[in-house]
Amino acid sequence: MLECAELYFNVDHGYLEGLVRGCKAGLLTKQDYINLVQCETLEDLKIHLQTTDYGNFLANQTNPLTVSKIDTEMRKKLCREFEYFRNHSLEPLSTFFTYMTCNYMIDNVILLMNGALQKKSVKEIMSKCHPLGRFTEMEAVNIAETPSDLFNAILVETPLAPFFHDCMSENTLDELNIELLRNKLYKSYLEAFYKFCKNHGDVTAEIMCPILEFEADRRAFIITLNSFGTELSKDDRETLYPRCGKLYPEGLRLLAQAEDFEQMKRVAEHYGEYKPLFEAVGDRNGGKTLEDVFYEHEVQMNVLAFNRQFHYGVFYAYTKLKEQEMRNIVWIAECISQRHRTKINSYIPIL
Amino acid sequence: MGSMFRSEEVVLAQLFLPTASAYACVSQLGELGLVEFRDLNASVSAFQRRFVADVRRCEELEKTFTFLQEEVRRAGLPLPRPEGALPAPPPRDLLHIQEETERLAQELRGVRGNHQALRAQLHQLQLHAAVLGHGHGHGPLLAATPMDGPSDLTPLLQPPGTPHRDLRVNFVAGAVEPGKAAALERLLWRACRGFLIASFRETERQLEDPVTGEPAMWMTFLISYWGEQIGRKVHKITDCFHCHVFPFPEEEAARRVALEQLQQQSLELREVLRETELFLSQVLARVQRLLPTWQVQVRKVKAVYLALNQCSVSATHKCLIAEGWCATRDLPRLQEALRNSSMEEGVSPVVHCIPSRDMPPTLIRTSRFTAGFQGIVDAYGVGRYQEVNPAPYTIITFPFLFAVMFGDVGHGLLMFLFALAMVLAENRPAVKAAQNEIWRTFFGGRYLLLLMGLFSVYTGFVYNECFSRAMTIFPSGWSVAAMANQSGWSDEFLAQNPLLMLVPNTTGVFLGPYPFGIDPIWSLAVNHLSFLNSFKMKMSVILGVTHMTFGVFLGVFNHVHFGQCHRLLLETLPELVFLLGLFGYLVFLVVFKWLCVSSAAAARAPSILIHFINMFLFSSSPANPPLFSGQEVVQTVLVVLALAVVPILLLGTPLFLYWRHRRHSPRPSSPLQEDKAELLDAADRDEEKAEGPREPEELVLSEVLMHQAIHTIEFCLGCISNTASYLRLWALSLAHAQLSEVLWAMVMRVGLRLDLGLGVAAVALVPVFAGFAVLTVAILLVMEGLSAFLHALRLHWVEFQNKFYSGSGYKLSPFTFALEDE
Repeated sequence: MLECAELYFNVDHGYLEGLVRGCKAGLLTKQDYINLVQCETLEDLKIHLQTTDYGNFLANQTNPLTVSKIDTEMRKKLCREFEYFRNHSLEPLSTFFTYMTCNYMIDNVILLMNGALQKKSVKEIMSKCHPLGRFTEMEAVNIAETPSDLFNAILVETPLAPFFHDCMSENTLDELNIELLRNKLYKSYLEAFYKFCKNHGDVTAEIMCPILEFEADRRAFIITLNSFGTELSKDDRETLYPRCGKLYPEGLRLLAQAEDFEQMKRVAEHYGEYKPLFEAVGDRNGGKTLEDVFYEHEVQMNVLAFNRQFHYGVFYAYTKLKEQEMRNIVWIAECISQRHRTKINSYIPIL
Repeated sequence: MGSMFRSEEVVLAQLFLPTASAYACVSQLGELGLVEFRDLNASVSAFQRRFVADVRRCEELEKTFTFLQEEVRRAGLPLPRPEGALPAPPPRDLLHIQEETERLAQELRGVRGNHQALRAQLHQLQLHAAVLGHGHGHGPLLAATPMDGPSDLTPLLQPPGTPHRDLRVNFVAGAVEPGKAAALERLLWRACRGFLIASFRETERQLEDPVTGEPAMWMTFLISYWGEQIGRKVHKITDCFHCHVFPFPEEEAARRVALEQLQQQSLELREVLRETELFLSQVLARVQRLLPTWQVQVRKVKAVYLALNQCSVSATHKCLIAEGWCATRDLPRLQEALRNSSMEEGVSPVVHCIPSRDMPPTLIRTSRFTAGFQGIVDAYGVGRYQEVNPAPYTIITFPFLFAVMFGDVGHGLLMFLFALAMVLAENRPAVKAAQNEIWRTFFGGRYLLLLMGLFSVYTGFVYNECFSRAMTIFPSGWSVAAMANQSGWSDEFLAQNPLLMLVPNTTGVFLGPYPFGIDPIWSLAVNHLSFLNSFKMKMSVILGVTHMTFGVFLGVFNHVHFGQCHRLLLETLPELVFLLGLFGYLVFLVVFKWLCVSSAAAARAPSILIHFINMFLFSSSPANPPLFSGQEVVQTVLVVLALAVVPILLLGTPLFLYWRHRRHSPRPSSPLQEDKAELLDAADRDEEKAEGPREPEELVLSEVLMHQAIHTIEFCLGCISNTASYLRLWALSLAHAQLSEVLWAMVMRVGLRLDLGLGVAAVALVPVFAGFAVLTVAILLVMEGLSAFLHALRLHWVEFQNKFYSGSGYKLSPFTFALEDE
């Protein structure tokens, strides 16, 4: 690719970029959140959402309104927008979109396999799957017994296929193996996505690479955090870390050796970017969790992505911001419906 | 027409509506459309207002209506438009409507559900039949299954004596949507490779989809497999693709029996389905009858509650207080309406006007004739409250300026006839209901077009052009015969000179001016164009200066009305001096030369252009004789005067305001007076508002100076550039004349000159004329018409209206139930 997107970007993707920027302008503002928090019932919430870009997306829902209905409808709305973008996109933007959906597809496959393990009905789990990660063969996932089975029979035609190259094994799929599979898949997915953005070059690389680097490092931290006190060996742990972040290679090696949160924090302190994040984490009695801090940082990066023009990052950023907004609304709605108002303000504001 | 001159007086009315009759009152107001409510609860969010529960109920109802409407539409039935007056029903009737709607919706849901289920069942049966029928086509597959013995005749599966005797071949048969068939086949193959044979085939007939009712092809499939485990996998996979799987008897005889059974069942089902459809159509007919009325009524109820949400509640909770703008002329009607609608309750609502600091909205009532012209003005900007409205003058000046650019009798007549047809047909419902946007634009401006056409005919006569040809209505004022006799043109002379000159100074050649417009003889002259150019250019300047001066004069009415008499002296007068002293003088020169310089003196006629340039340079050129004695003195005085008024214009108003401000501000006596005034006002409920206007006006000198400086520069430069801008009248009229001339010469004249036999030429003329007619309409009428329209619009908006019109107001949009666009 030539390094001058401004010359030709708009020929293929100008319309969509304009569209996504318009959509971004419809994200809820601080004032909206202030109003939402004041709502007494979900009906009030609905009325207020009607005055925003959500419009009357709940108009055809029968009473009583529940949080899950709101969530489903919001997801559907995001999905409609995303499908529109995707259907109007040209290469290489459409590949970019495919990469974006892989994320959700991995989650869905894992969800279904877990469900099959627990002998839940497919329908029940299907309703929990993210609509962005739907694909036709998805429901057949539970016929597979080993990862290579899964790959050979079902996923070989899906975009997930290339991520399977180092997960092929004949292990039976128990809970731990599924979790390992998820992380391995995720690792190769992130690395592939990173490579794609890097190869694309130009502004897209400048915007997307830091975002994906952060995503990779976040996963590394979270994996480390979750593996404390489990049977996962340190070597196994290291194989799960995505190797495209800022932590690679030195930080990952150190992380693999970490044994508790304090040690992890010490690793993070070597990196100027992550030091303030870990410092912002509150202690057990209150304050923010590590996850929240990461979310906030992600929101910030995504918002900044809109400051540059002529790149694909805006689509990624918009989807992520919208997801965060949905999480916020669901949080507020849950607080309202459970009459648990003390924590209602701990949503993550989108700047 | 009196109301057209400036917008009507509008007051802020405060309405005390007793709680019991508030609903009836507001609904009555909605029918009449008199008041624009102000939101008194702007700080209260939407869901904390008083009537939010009622609004929500209406929304619920509308949701149900949407459902009913969808159902009716899906059945392909039209929804008639409600007829007659439908007042907003009282709240208790709303309950009734709600009940009825619920019942109807429930009934419909039930029937629709039944219908759907039956259709799905039928679909299922049809699919099953198709799958069973599929077996016939799969003879080879069935036959190819391992067996020995010549059992070709019966495709039964009897695997006696085969080595795999224990491995029974099983079947799964079913149907799948065609889009998924390929994926299903691939997945089956990958998941259980080698252990199954699958055959896919399209159904012979298209089956109606039970949900959408659209016909669609389905793929039936027949999978034969070996082994239990594979069977489980196959079942899982078919489940995941949402296939319909049916039992598939292995013997053909059994299949045939099953098929017959299915056909029997489907026959019965069809019978039931028909009954259900009949019932469904009955329910739908009821919906069809009731729904439109309800929809209108509920929409009104909702509007009423939304309006009531804007009212504040009085301290005693006995009444609602509404505020709204209302035309003074409508106040009696308002009072009467309120009295009538609260007759039953006993307590009558009170209306009184309260003073307000905000600028009231602009209300100009239009008729269907004036609406188009008012629209032109409003498109530029809605006038400030009580500002002089340019629309009444636009009625004449707009079509006239258009016609100056579009002057042609033929084209004008065509336009006039087109507009006349629209005007005559305006009451026909078909014309009114037309949805085409372009047509509606033309239709909305039909009276404008009518006048434009009429004026074009007039200017066409002045230019003496009809489809670019001159008409000889009166005898020409020039005599060629006299010229020939006087100068003794011989035959040879005539043969040698294709161009001859008529000299007006020769006696008898120029008999006198043509009675009306341009002499037709000019159309034969080679200097036709230069003659017309000079004429049209001067005419444009004269029209322009007149138009602009008129605009400046209209400003006088504004100043007088708003009590700013100082601006008369400090702004209008300098402006007039500047405009008339420079450009008015130019017009005077033109007219003077027309009247006083005759053709006898043509050889040494003075040039106006040189004179005008010299006027600014304070010089004179000896080659250019003066028009009248003392001309130089007059010119010098005018230029000095024009320049002298510029500082007055620039500084007059700001200094005057400053001086007045200094004189009026802190004076010992005034607080006392204000106190008194406030005491008087204390009775008024809304103290803050009443107090408002009495606050001493803030005067920021720099700001006023800045504004005035901008205004001055704009006016002085504008006078020059705007005068030049009016030359577009000349340019466009020239372009129009030349285009129609070219069209005539290139199309019609070629056709008329065809040197063929009489009959052939007549036949050939038909397409030629068709081409001429089409091009005339497309290019000269539509394209040229649009461009002339645009330029006329610009002359009004920019050159005329900026002399006096600020257009910074907003329209009064009363609360009304009247449908806007339907």
